[in-house]
Amino acid sequence: MSEEKTIIEDISREFYDFRFEENAAYKVDSGLTEEIVRQISEEKNDPAWMRDFRLRCLGIFHRTAMPDWGPSIEGLNMDNIVTYVRPNTRRMQQSWDDVPSDIKDTFERLGIPQSERESLAGVGAQYDSELVYHNVREEVSRQGVIYTDIESALRGPYGDMIKDHFMKLVPPTDHKFAALHGAVWSGGSFVYVPKGASVEIPLQSYFRLNAPGAGQFEHTLIIVEEGAYLHFIEGCSAPKYNVANLHAGCVELFVGKNATLRYSTIENWSKNMYNLNTKRARVEEGGKIEWVSGSFGSHVSYLYPMSILCGAGARSEFTGVTFAGNGQNLDTGCKVVHQAPDTSSYVNTRSISKSGGISTFRSALVIDQKAAGSKASVSCQSLMLDDISRSDTIPAMDIRTAKADVGHEAKIGRISDDAVFYLMSRGLSEDDARALIVSGFAENVSKELPLEYAVEMNNLIRIEMKGAIG
Amino acid sequence: MQKVLNKPLTNTFGWLHMNGTSLEIPEETEEKAIVLSPSEEKQLILDDACPNRALHIEVQEGAVLKLIQISRSDERGIHHIEVQLQKNGRFEWYRLILGSAAVYDDCKVTLIGDDSSFTARIGYDLKAENRMDMNCEAVHLGKRTTSNIKALGVLDGQAFKLLRGTIDLRTGCKGAKGDEYEDVLLLSDDVHNQSIPMILCSEEDVEGNHGATIGQLPEELIYYMTSRGIEKDDLYTLMARSRLDSIIQTLPDEALREALLSR
Repeated sequence: MSEEKTIIEDISREFYDFRFEENAAYKVDSGLTEEIVRQISEEKNDPAWMRDFRLRCLGIFHRTAMPDWGPSIEGLNMDNIVTYVRPNTRRMQQSWDDVPSDIKDTFERLGIPQSERESLAGVGAQYDSELVYHNVREEVSRQGVIYTDIESALRGPYGDMIKDHFMKLVPPTDHKFAALHGAVWSGGSFVYVPKGASVEIPLQSYFRLNAPGAGQFEHTLIIVEEGAYLHFIEGCSAPKYNVANLHAGCVELFVGKNATLRYSTIENWSKNMYNLNTKRARVEEGGKIEWVSGSFGSHVSYLYPMSILCGAGARSEFTGVTFAGNGQNLDTGCKVVHQAPDTSSYVNTRSISKSGGISTFRSALVIDQKAAGSKASVSCQSLMLDDISRSDTIPAMDIRTAKADVGHEAKIGRISDDAVFYLMSRGLSEDDARALIVSGFAENVSKELPLEYAVEMNNLIRIEMKGAIG
Repeated sequence: MQKVLNKPLTNTFGWLHMNGTSLEIPEETEEKAIVLSPSEEKQLILDDACPNRALHIEVQEGAVLKLIQISRSDERGIHHIEVQLQKNGRFEWYRLILGSAAVYDDCKVTLIGDDSSFTARIGYDLKAENRMDMNCEAVHLGKRTTSNIKALGVLDGQAFKLLRGTIDLRTGCKGAKGDEYEDVLLLSDDVHNQSIPMILCSEEDVEGNHGATIGQLPEELIYYMTSRGIEKDDLYTLMARSRLDSIIQTLPDEALREALLSR
């Protein structure tokens, strides 16, 4: 077999790297001060409790230390980040025709309106700090499902519900960037699925950050009541700039008794992005949270969706793939806390590192004393595609009951010569054999996505195989 | 003096409290340097109550050191072992913790020379309020180096155990292989088990694996054994003993092995 190596290309970003000149209607100064937080609150027309909450979060942000673990975020200087940018539209629209042309063109290029027509039950589109479009199919609304921007909901009939849930799962004391989010959050979606309702077709929110040097801090709050079902898809991207951008969103998911929520994410931020996102789900008795997560973009990522299984028989599944290329340090994984009897969790991840990229799988599995009869399985595999990259696996387990059943396995390696040899003996070229193996490696995620998104993900990866095979 | 012990090569989430242990350090520590000449073979048994020990070991080309270390006193013990392995050097660490009050072990092995190898066989049987806090690191620098860390243990009563096992495959250690496996049987709902088996990797041409099984006995095993007339309580006693015995059986010293097996 040839000693020469097949080259696996970086993920192509051409599709996402287009940009329009910033045409903001309003933006705050860069940096983070009490005055800026008050300006954002005023711009948002916050109720008094939210303004006070923002200010409390700002205090927590200043008091909280940077994490002493994970990738370096020294390149992120909050003094240079603009925390609020309102695009040149005052109101969120329910028709794409009413969205300003440059913004509409952005989402057209990303294929969002087309997906809405073909395969989605509702769409929310955020541009910089504001939702610019939100719509939901009538048959879904008729079931009593609410899918709207969180700020309208905050001031409407669901205001009390939002107050009861907002940053209760992810308190601002959780970490420094949760506090930052609490202080300057803007935009995001609110979904309420009433008891017994089943939203068979997914809803999707898409977040686009266009302004250079800006931060995006959207808040997603989803409440799925007893026996209900929802599949929610989150997409995000940004064009590349030479200055650091920051994403510190927050996702809070409440899954009721015997309800199921599937939360899928294809993240493809540009390589100047610090993606310090927090996602958390609380699952009641017999409920289930299914995370499907693809991490491809960002300069630095800290991303660990957390499942808190607090009702008997609650379940969690996490399926993830991370692809770290040149200039990327992607620290991803998940956290699961079993707090009730007979709960179960299953984690299955893949990570790929190439061209100097750093990929870290980091997890925390906690089974506490009340979680007798719980079962957990963690499996993570990493693929190193060259010797200038890095791949780390850091899984932590904390078990406090004898009546638990925990299994863990991890593997790090390269593409097996035996597998390549086997496929070549079946008539494939070395190029094709390696391509097939790498594509198959990420299949754990693509097979969990709706077909259209699996195709998009495969296009996104666009793993091109080249090489002189002698 | 307060000191942070057993700091792993890399930190993780702070709220898990696994990034090192802060402890009051007693002043008296037995410190020893051991150098094995090329091709020398040596067996060292430390089966005593010496509570605090620091060993600096160099295993030169082709040499083999077998270190058997047993803790069974009721004292608190702090053990620091640092090993450097040159070409074809081998270090075998047999570590048994049999109900010691509190053991803090930090074993750092650097596989410098090509084809050097490190094997760790760790067995523990912790009861009552016993504590075990261990950091075991294999840093691979040389080509075709191998490490194999296997830990089998039992926790009962209010015992606490934290095992940080790290295989670090550094750039240039082509052909290296690191394996880590842990099997922990939990016998009481008051025990606390923490495990963090890490693989750090900056080399492509390597293989790293780790696996862990934690908790109660598998239902199929319980069904199989009870259907053959073994009481469930007896089965747990049997399986707890067998875990430790399977480590004891690997001890290179026959007399010690027999004595421990007939305990």
